[in-house]
Amino acid sequence: MSDSVISVKGLIKKYGAISAVNGISFSVKQGEIYGLLGPNGAGKTTTLECLEGLRRIDGGNIIVAGCNPQKDKKKIRNIMGVQLQSSSLPDGILVSEAMALVCAWHETKYRSDLLECFGIEGMVKKKYHQLSTGQQRRLHLALALVCNPSVVVLDEPTAGLDVEGRAQLHNEIRKLKKQNVTMLLATHDMAEAEGLCDQISIVIKGTVAVTGTPFEVTAASKRDTRIAIRTGRNSLSSNCKIEGATFFKEKDCYSIWTCSDSALAIGALMQRVKEANDFVIDLRVERPSLEESFLELVSGGEMK
Amino acid sequence: MKALLKFLWIQLNMDLREKGTLMNYYVIPLLFYIIIGSVFTQPETKSTLAATMIIFAVTMGAIVGIPGPLVKMRESGTLRAFSVNGISNGMVTFVHAISAFFHILIVSVIIFCTSHLIFKSDNPTYPVRFICVLLLFLLTSTAIGVLIGTFARNQSFVTTFSQLVFLPSILLSGIMFNTSMLPKVLMWGGRIFPATHAMQMFKGLAFHKQTNYSSMIALFVLTVIGVAAVMLTYLKIWKISSGELS
Repeated sequence: MSDSVISVKGLIKKYGAISAVNGISFSVKQGEIYGLLGPNGAGKTTTLECLEGLRRIDGGNIIVAGCNPQKDKKKIRNIMGVQLQSSSLPDGILVSEAMALVCAWHETKYRSDLLECFGIEGMVKKKYHQLSTGQQRRLHLALALVCNPSVVVLDEPTAGLDVEGRAQLHNEIRKLKKQNVTMLLATHDMAEAEGLCDQISIVIKGTVAVTGTPFEVTAASKRDTRIAIRTGRNSLSSNCKIEGATFFKEKDCYSIWTCSDSALAIGALMQRVKEANDFVIDLRVERPSLEESFLELVSGGEMK
Repeated sequence: MKALLKFLWIQLNMDLREKGTLMNYYVIPLLFYIIIGSVFTQPETKSTLAATMIIFAVTMGAIVGIPGPLVKMRESGTLRAFSVNGISNGMVTFVHAISAFFHILIVSVIIFCTSHLIFKSDNPTYPVRFICVLLLFLLTSTAIGVLIGTFARNQSFVTTFSQLVFLPSILLSGIMFNTSMLPKVLMWGGRIFPATHAMQMFKGLAFHKQTNYSSMIALFVLTVIGVAAVMLTYLKIWKISSGELS
């Protein structure tokens, strides 16, 4: 794939006799947000650390923006912004000092715009240990963007953040996407992946179990689609026989049906409502969520 | 170079803000200096007060003060955070060492300048040699402090190991009492510590007093220890940088 900004082929990383990453391959196009999902210990963070040049690989090939992170460590720092899963700064460093230091290292002017962007411009005289977890994460992300990177790697960026903090960070990630920045995101948060990512890979035991858009991954689930329908005269009861749909349960005035082909089932349900001279008040189609698909994979199930 | 100086300036300021570092570099050595200066009244011990208290300050600052923050930075992920922002592990360690060197040098200069004024101790016969011995001892001790901090796996190890070097250095180097009073085993055992050789060099080269062994041997051993510590630290950091961040 010539238009790939990040290309990982057959990546292998071992810790002694244990294979943490066992032949992972994926590629990320320019301006895309790519999500790596997986349970704890699946190899997401190790994959990212190999990509960041922090770990030596035992096999495979990694190219980021035409650069080999394993060899061109200095060059990669000017291409890639990184927010690590667990990192820290010295307790006594001031926010302004941290920004000044990283800017000096990248030979750029002081980036107060980034502090403003992440809402920490009022904390420049605060020491690192005086910041909340969310503020620390925002500072790390601001520092990662000092060199105007074309690739940003985020490892569990919203872990430990409150709802407001998460929403703010998601907005910043979307802004970066608008600037055509390519992002690689490792997360446990399925809603986050579903909402932000263009492509995802679910990693299990060091290998990629499934790859695709969040929609493709959920569509490949074996789990049936649920149709919840509310009618004026309750004409859809458990006694009804509907072609392509199976009655599941009644809940809060809704009759809930499961089906594998939602188009066929909805047509049959509408026909039944019409025949009963009834009318539809509300109709909801619930496809299996990414979280359900993920759990299905993790528990050993196979996708379609 | 500009970035390096910026980093050094920030590190110097951070060290002053950090209570633990401030205690190890300034408060304890200066407090000990005032107490010992007041307590020691014998002319023999008082004459070399500047040298003995500088040895205490340098050993305290370098061996106890330097390794802890280095290990903490590694354990907390600070080194990794710096690394992904383009500041290498080696550079962070180097700046930390240089900052410590300056702080300990300041304390040493304070002791050197005030010991005669406050406690009427002797001024060195050869002040330039005194400063050269101080700088060599400070460099060697800083290198050993960095070596311990680079190799130590965790905080408990660093605390134990630092004390294992610090306490014998103080007790067996001759700064508290003459080493000729010690049993031979301890006297010889004390010679593995830089503080012992520094004491002999201060006495022989700077104060022109009688020493237990040749000051030139002390100079040679101290230099070898310093160079070995720097090389081992460099190798360890190179190994980490070319492989993986621990």
